[in-house]
Amino acid sequence: MPSTQLELAMRWKGEIDADLAPFLVGYRPVPGVHDELVDATGRVRPHWAAMLGRLARFGRPEIDRRFAEADRRLAESGVVYRVYGDDTDRPWPLAHLPIVVDAPDWAVLAEGVLQRARLFEAILDDLMGEARLVGDGVLPAALVAGNPEFLRPLAGIRPKGGAHLHVYAADVSRAPDGRWWVLADRTQAPSGAGYAIENRIAVSRALPELFDALGVERQGPFFQAMRSGLAAASGREDPRVALLTPGPWNETHFEHAYLARVLGFQLVEGSDLAASPEGVAVRTVAGLGRVDVIVRRIDADWADPLELDPSSRLGVPGLVEAVRNGRVVMANSLGSGLVEAPALAGYLPGIAHRLTGETLILPNVATWWCGEAAARESVAANLDRLMLSPAFGRSLHGILDSTGILGTRLSGAERTRISTLLERRGVDFVGREPLRLSTAPVWEKGRLVPRPFAIRVFAARTPEGWTVMPGGLARISEREDVRSLSMQRGGRSADVWVLGPRSVSKPETRLVPEPEAVEIRRDAGILPARMADNLFWFGRYLERAEITLRLLRGLAGHGDDGVAETSRDIARRIGRLLVAWGAVAPEATGEEIAAEATRGTSPGSVATLIGAAHRTGAVVRDRLSPDCWRALVDLRDRLATRPGEDRRPRSVDGEIEAVLRALAAVVGLAHETMNRREGWRFFDLGRRIERGIGLARVARAFATVGAEPEMLDLLLDLADGRVTHRSRYITGPARRPVLDLVLLDEGHPRAVAFQVARIAEHLARLTGRSEGDLLEPAERLAHRLAASLETSDAGVFDAARIETIEMELMGISDRVTAHWFGRSLPLADDEAEE
Amino acid sequence: MRYDVTQVTVYDWGAAVPFADCAFRLIPIERRGQRVHASELSVDPAASTMVDGLDYWGNHVTRVGFRRSHRRLTIRATATVTVAPPPRLDPDPSPAHEVIRDLAQRSRSTAPDDPVHFTFPSRWVPLTPAVTDWAAASFPPGRTIAAGALDLTRRIRADFAYDPAATDVATPLARAFQARRGVCQDFAHVMIAGLRGLGLPAAYVSGYLRTVPPPGQKKLAGADAMHAWVEVWCGPDLGWIGFDPTNGIVAGDDHIVVGHGRDYTDVSPVTGIILTAGSQGLAVAVDVIEVEGDAPSSAGAREMSCPAPAHT
Repeated sequence: MPSTQLELAMRWKGEIDADLAPFLVGYRPVPGVHDELVDATGRVRPHWAAMLGRLARFGRPEIDRRFAEADRRLAESGVVYRVYGDDTDRPWPLAHLPIVVDAPDWAVLAEGVLQRARLFEAILDDLMGEARLVGDGVLPAALVAGNPEFLRPLAGIRPKGGAHLHVYAADVSRAPDGRWWVLADRTQAPSGAGYAIENRIAVSRALPELFDALGVERQGPFFQAMRSGLAAASGREDPRVALLTPGPWNETHFEHAYLARVLGFQLVEGSDLAASPEGVAVRTVAGLGRVDVIVRRIDADWADPLELDPSSRLGVPGLVEAVRNGRVVMANSLGSGLVEAPALAGYLPGIAHRLTGETLILPNVATWWCGEAAARESVAANLDRLMLSPAFGRSLHGILDSTGILGTRLSGAERTRISTLLERRGVDFVGREPLRLSTAPVWEKGRLVPRPFAIRVFAARTPEGWTVMPGGLARISEREDVRSLSMQRGGRSADVWVLGPRSVSKPETRLVPEPEAVEIRRDAGILPARMADNLFWFGRYLERAEITLRLLRGLAGHGDDGVAETSRDIARRIGRLLVAWGAVAPEATGEEIAAEATRGTSPGSVATLIGAAHRTGAVVRDRLSPDCWRALVDLRDRLATRPGEDRRPRSVDGEIEAVLRALAAVVGLAHETMNRREGWRFFDLGRRIERGIGLARVARAFATVGAEPEMLDLLLDLADGRVTHRSRYITGPARRPVLDLVLLDEGHPRAVAFQVARIAEHLARLTGRSEGDLLEPAERLAHRLAASLETSDAGVFDAARIETIEMELMGISDRVTAHWFGRSLPLADDEAEE
Repeated sequence: MRYDVTQVTVYDWGAAVPFADCAFRLIPIERRGQRVHASELSVDPAASTMVDGLDYWGNHVTRVGFRRSHRRLTIRATATVTVAPPPRLDPDPSPAHEVIRDLAQRSRSTAPDDPVHFTFPSRWVPLTPAVTDWAAASFPPGRTIAAGALDLTRRIRADFAYDPAATDVATPLARAFQARRGVCQDFAHVMIAGLRGLGLPAAYVSGYLRTVPPPGQKKLAGADAMHAWVEVWCGPDLGWIGFDPTNGIVAGDDHIVVGHGRDYTDVSPVTGIILTAGSQGLAVAVDVIEVEGDAPSSAGAREMSCPAPAHT
């Protein structure tokens, strides 16, 4: 290969200079650090020249256009990440230029990663079993016993399928001499593969010519192989795989949802699953569904409050027992995080030698565990050249955060303290060589600059052994000098292109299968009961916010001084309704009412309702279009009161109109983009029930016997009925015709009867009842209500009769809840016996 | 000493609970110096599944599933136990605490009874510089492990106020330490944190303490309670020795061990997952009745034990 490379370099040398030169101006690698782009003599490495030369020929404007296009695509497909504890989504920061690695170089890295995956599996197998590594003196017992990931209830349990690890990832960078080395190993629940897919799609679509010409290795086969691996472990040809996420507030939840969608796994939270000694099941609107494999994205200690951390709200009670009985494949096993401990690094060469007789291909950053007297003394003596870190990767309370501290940063007093701590509890510390990351070129405003980077390389277990994903998730620091590369602290990510052997045309196996080859699927899996519950309430909250806003709009012009008594009466009635709905406190008067009900903190204020819609919407986020979600977030932010801000909007009327329009956009987008299957039905069911209740309530408040025409006008406004009414009746509004329109007209979209008809339709579809079956309780109620509306004359609806409609709608809601969402309870006896 | 022990635990859920999955650690274990002749655990309402087993530490754990709606759960555990009086502790010949620390660090066994498990922070025993520095006063260089542990035991007895109102079962260790008050569970956790902070192996023990009624009064039924104390590893020869910081004494044959682990969460008598809307009430009644030999041990008269903590 070297001769080929040389030849390439020669060939490119003449061509690149002209096009590339402008981009390379001022590119100065950090001395003593390996750089991807240029070698020690300052020459551009051939595989980079191959890529950049082609890129440069586009010219600056075209390059900028393409990169902007990639950003737009990412934003459109809703790729986001968030910082833990902050619920705003941030756009995915893509460094557009891929990092290119040539085939022979990659082969070494890949082989090293495979070797480590096999090694960690062997270590876990030993430590969770007989622990001969400890007995034979290869590994100190304290490294196991003191490791918070040594989960004792799992000790001695053989994982179903025989393996602890199904996915493994290594964070790698290069030593100054160019050799790859490992910064960290990920065995607990490696994240990032989903983002790698997104990067790949965005960059390969922005630069298709380069992608094809360079013969970049495809990633699709990797995911296919991973799926086969999970299937093999489960012993089923078509296993049901659930991806267990901590929930929408987790910083990588987007990735969980995305991977689940791409790989055809069901996205679940702990409360969606029910575990018993016989196995694990997912609670869906159609009952319990089998689960064969759990791809775990929550930390193991959170996975079962009954046997692991009892304070966990994310887990599945009884999961450990199901695992113990070999009823479910965990990918990765509970306890697999054991081998992530930094303190283990120094022992890996010895362990590799003992278990497999091999020498490690990829070295770790040099690490000394201070539980050993010799290492402790050496670390204490060389503190100035080292980084002191927690041995098990978790912060030491009041002593050291999880990253650790550079010895040079310690003051004299701190040094004295550290030496006492090392003496007392050396077991808690490791000394490590400080990170010195290698650099790669990053595109910055038409120029290339060297920036430190690391690549997360992924491996998966397949029926034929481990396989490595060609490429990975590169993370690039914003600053030249870094100790940490976490996306949480800024920085960008990049695609990684592994160049195939030159000029070999590859079969186009893409990540997301070729459009023509894709298997047609219409159902996104059976709807989990919790999702249905949240969709239902998403619909209800949005609708409740709308009727509240409409009522507030009606308030305008009626509450002022000097208006007629009728108007004042209307204002009082609206006020009473708002108080009854919890939108304002009873004491509120005049202008306060509208301001409070819009942006106040009462349980029924529009701001609170939109907040609730946002919360429930977040749970079902992957069923909403990105536009819909953004519109919802904007609406919530618009209603939020910033500290110190006067809550009273300058123009309440204008504000209400604007919020109503924004709300209509959210509902419209949800309605138009949600797939019209079960999920949408629950959403719409919630809206219809809430709208029916709201309409009945306003009808009861304003269509009282002897109501003034102004009140009936208001009711028509609330029910969008003025136009229809005018077309039907020449006279002004009268109680009976208005009630007929608002309550009974099945053709009027804002009539109660219209809502009831839709409710009955939804229920009929959702129950999946066959001809001749008995009606479900909710459906029976809906039919009864529909019949009573159909056969009654508007004249008979007094306040009591209207209230009955409200009660029946609430009854339908209760029965829907009991029938479909009540399954968020663990198995009851009758279900378990099925 | 031979005892009949009965513990009746009653939970009133306040509202109907449709199901519950629980684990009970209420049956005393067999161990050095302690034999269990008979034991029984019964529940009301009837369980739909009930599986006996041993946890990692060798404690008896009974996993029970309830699948019928109920408002009250009653757990009754009885056992007949013999406790041999431990040999009188002579702290002088035990190894220096530095030796103990190094032995634990260098352990080559992950067997569940190995001291190495008990030198690290655990769920409810975080290690903090404040507690460690406080405990260090009992361990000047070269002092033997047993002498240091006994000194620490007595310091807690002297400096901490027994105050059931100050803490509840979930009060963090730091708060009890700062206030210098709490109950047996808090004292045990504080002592363990201090020892582990110095690298010394310390375990949490839960069990019963035979109490003796004041002179001239009859012992009341159900007046005994669950208790917690500490065991410290004193080297390969002496092994684990019990220290009771609540009473400032070395554990004797009045101390009946139910279970041991790293802290309360490893031995909590009742854990479980229930869903209830109501507010729950808990009543625990413990009887420790001596069935042979009625001479109370000298320490017994002044000892105190703690009400069993509720776990939710």
